[in-house]
Amino acid sequence: MSKALVCSCEDVTVEDIRHAVAKGFRDVESVKRFTGFGTGVCQGKSCLSAVAALLAKEKAQKPEGIVPFTPRPPLYPTELSLLASLPVDESKPPVGGVPQELDTFPATLRPEGAVPTRARVVIVGGGVLGLALAYNLSLRGETDVVVLERGYLCAGASGRNGGGVRMQWGTAANIELAKRSIELMGRFARDLGINVWLRQGGYLFMAKTKAVAERLERNAALHNKHGVPTRMLTLDEARDVVPGLSLKDAQAVSYNPEDGVIFPWPFLWGYANACRKAGIKVETYTRVTGFELSGGLVRKVKTDRGDISCDTVVVATGAWSPEVAKLAGVSLPNEPHRHEILSTEPLKPFLGPLVSVLDSGLYFSQSMRGEIVGGMGDPLEPAGLNMGSTLRFVSRFARALTEQLPNLGHVKVLRQWAGCYDVTPDNSPILGRTPGLENLLQLSGFVGHGFMMAPAVAERMAQWMTTGASDELFTRFNLRRFHEGKLEREDMIIG
Amino acid sequence: MRRLPDAASRGKSITMDLEGETVPAIEGEPVACSLIAAGESVLARSIKYHRARGPYCFSGACSHCLMRVDGLPNVYTCRVPARQGMKLERQNAYPSAKVDVFEAIDWFFPKGLDHHEMFAGVPVAEQVMAKVARQLAGLGLLPTAPAPERLPVETVRTRVAVVGAGAAGLAAAQVLAAQNLPFLLLERDNVLGGRLLSGVPEADAPPPPAEGLLAPERVRTRVTVIGLFDDEEGRFLAAVNEGTGEPRLLRVYAERFLLAPGGHPPMLPFENNDLPGVYASHAASLLVRRYGVAPEVAALVGSGPELYALARLMTERGTKVAAVVDLKGPVPADAPAGAVQGSEPKAHGHNAVSGFSYQDASGRRVKVACDAVLVAVAPSPSFELARQGGAKVEYDEAREVFAVVADAEGRTEAADVYVAGDVRGARSAAQAAADGRRAAEALAQSLTRAAVGGKS
Ligand SMILES: Cc1cc2nc3c(=O)[nH]c(=O)nc-3n(C[C@H](O)[C@H](O)[C@H](O)COP(=O)(O)OP(=O)(O)OC[C@H]3O[C@@H](n4cnc5c(N)ncnc54)[C@H](O)[C@@H]3O)c2cc1C
Repeated sequence: MSKALVCSCEDVTVEDIRHAVAKGFRDVESVKRFTGFGTGVCQGKSCLSAVAALLAKEKAQKPEGIVPFTPRPPLYPTELSLLASLPVDESKPPVGGVPQELDTFPATLRPEGAVPTRARVVIVGGGVLGLALAYNLSLRGETDVVVLERGYLCAGASGRNGGGVRMQWGTAANIELAKRSIELMGRFARDLGINVWLRQGGYLFMAKTKAVAERLERNAALHNKHGVPTRMLTLDEARDVVPGLSLKDAQAVSYNPEDGVIFPWPFLWGYANACRKAGIKVETYTRVTGFELSGGLVRKVKTDRGDISCDTVVVATGAWSPEVAKLAGVSLPNEPHRHEILSTEPLKPFLGPLVSVLDSGLYFSQSMRGEIVGGMGDPLEPAGLNMGSTLRFVSRFARALTEQLPNLGHVKVLRQWAGCYDVTPDNSPILGRTPGLENLLQLSGFVGHGFMMAPAVAERMAQWMTTGASDELFTRFNLRRFHEGKLEREDMIIG
Repeated sequence: MRRLPDAASRGKSITMDLEGETVPAIEGEPVACSLIAAGESVLARSIKYHRARGPYCFSGACSHCLMRVDGLPNVYTCRVPARQGMKLERQNAYPSAKVDVFEAIDWFFPKGLDHHEMFAGVPVAEQVMAKVARQLAGLGLLPTAPAPERLPVETVRTRVAVVGAGAAGLAAAQVLAAQNLPFLLLERDNVLGGRLLSGVPEADAPPPPAEGLLAPERVRTRVTVIGLFDDEEGRFLAAVNEGTGEPRLLRVYAERFLLAPGGHPPMLPFENNDLPGVYASHAASLLVRRYGVAPEVAALVGSGPELYALARLMTERGTKVAAVVDLKGPVPADAPAGAVQGSEPKAHGHNAVSGFSYQDASGRRVKVACDAVLVAVAPSPSFELARQGGAKVEYDEAREVFAVVADAEGRTEAADVYVAGDVRGARSAAQAAADGRRAAEALAQSLTRAAVGGKS
């Protein structure tokens, strides 16, 4: 059949690019994510300039707004076994990372015209949490809402994560939220008209030390109490679930077949699209630069495209939340911590569950597209908004991964990138009202699991905001707890 | 494609195993080159529509030639040297790449397939689709064996790391050598020269590098740079060194980086531009100049001086040039006879090129028979390393490519990163060499200034 290919690795045609533009994806990063161009084996070498030329021709973008997507290492596909050969000094913290963001989002990408001058609710941050909240507000009839996002949709952690969704948690609150989220994710395509490829292949947790093994066992019992079918597996059973898995040093293995993986990006597009249909403004490439306060309230949100007066403001800026809250004079206890991640060449399906070694923070799964996607936290990662990639990470990860699945040694890494976890002292989110600024609401601090919490948390938050009915979630996880010392630590954190 | 009768015998004749069939090859030649010379044009099936694919770029910059080689998935057969008994398998096809039933996907979705919305929310269909999609996804099968223990990483410290031994990199290296500055030149190919040796010839190009041009300890070939990174010890290039037998990771720490990696052959979007038999001009010139492999009848399409130079090269080497279609025009006065300005190019054929058509100036569709379509467009600058090093990259509207922003001396926004050659936007080999010299001189000066403690 006649087709004009732009990206032949992923079979993306000229028509596909036009289709994306017609759907409102007009900048290179967004078109890349929506069409998949540049995400294949060649990583954009043969297609990037052709797409740029098409965007220019279609007038999707002014020439100054045509900027390349970030070139991720490695420049050529590189075997895990080679990357694993680099020794890493684990006693020293990681340093650096490439590419550093230059001029993160060129002003040329900013939409023309001003933002609305007034809205009842302004949500700062167009990640999954901000957008899910806006969507849920619209379901409850609140559509006088503006969502402000400094970059493209998917620019933050929501576009950079591993897509894991699980009910295996250590606290009742998280188990229940995750259960509800996964239920909503299963219906997402029906509710919002876009596929998110939820694949319930399970999560297999491995413990290599006694202490962690005990934690897994204790938590499995808690899961069962909440109706989550987690089982402790024998090593033979574990080998059946993941053929080829090394169980060296494994002390315990827990498995819930109903956990799984999703494809994160379409969630953001689906929510944003539904919001826009309902009349909510989702303003991308629009940065919040300050707040106007008086009488214990936020009166206006200032942006680089004008000010918006409002009744309620929600801070949903993920790892940027401390920075944004500071603009309102509020000090948050969360800290951004870089987490690196990578993706390999696409292989035919061979791996069912997401596998995680809880002791080291190693995790990996096989995406719907067949790539192995995985990461591993670095215990010495310093706090800071750093989204550069290091050779140290690929090396540590490659070694840990090939130890668990030796047959992956020859598998090639296609790209590595990084995002920031939004880490709180007790690994639990920060929700609800801000003491001293009653109409500034917090929706941050989701560490490394905000994606899977978003649908359920947003649903509860919209209900709480629109009905005024009390909800213990917003008192339990209120900022106040850090002053009162009432911390409830989540202990099933990967990384 | 065929081996030219006059081509000097270049190596030992060997055989490889292609899915149980024996195919002839020449030892050391890229596997894909031997395969097409042996008449095997379909090497792969594409990921989504299962379209037939044969090699396109011959520089590891697309995915058309990926095969399973000796039990390893997704190997660039355009880069891997042929060896006796090599086991080759085509991927992503059932029952075979020549007759692939999944090709039906291509026919069912003539307008393409929006996997985001297809069957979204349709109860049963959605679930079936998810299962089918998962089975169809992915290219190769898992490797059959674990990788061997790798040699320990090698770490080199030098003052200047130069990437790319084309006209720009070589000229730069000569300047550095003359100034006695310690440097290391890294080249992915197994020979020095870049497109001086394998590109479309240019009248004013500098000569290819003579034997012994650079001291052997200053040059490494078959070294693929994979990133410009930093760590607590400074900035370094990470590379995979395949020049000494077993592949090995290499780190090169340097005070300055002179990046001259050239460009990637881009895809030019037109109908059936991915058909086996469509080649980038770089591939065509490499095949004919280095390996003596060429099509019988070729149609050429593209723009710029390379289009016409390629037409001359192919004609000279006995390929019948059936059409030369300039998509931008105007056709220069000294163009080969028959060259025309045209639009809407299209390749024809089922699983292999059998023809080419275009619309001429009067709006008429003209079709020619051919066994290859050669695409001559300016390379896309390989800006990745420079960008990782902090250089700025901008869209060049006139050339329709992204290029590294640099001053006349090759200085970028990153103090230790200099660029030269095609990475700045396509230029002639002579210009690239001049770039390289200028950048090396400026870089050398910056190092001397740094040494005396001065600041520019
Ligand atoms: C490597 C990695 C792997 C992960 N894996 C998983 C996983 O498997 N499962 C899971 O559930 N979670 C995972 N997470 C966590 C998850 O991605 C996050 O918790 C979640 O995406 C947070 O969503 P958010 O909307 O709060 O933040 P974000 O998605 O970061 O959105 C915040 C947005 O605010 C914008 N912003 C910042 N400042 C401003 C400003 N001044 N003005 C306007 N906009 C601004 C940012 O551009 C950003 O888009 C992972 C995270 C990382 C980094």
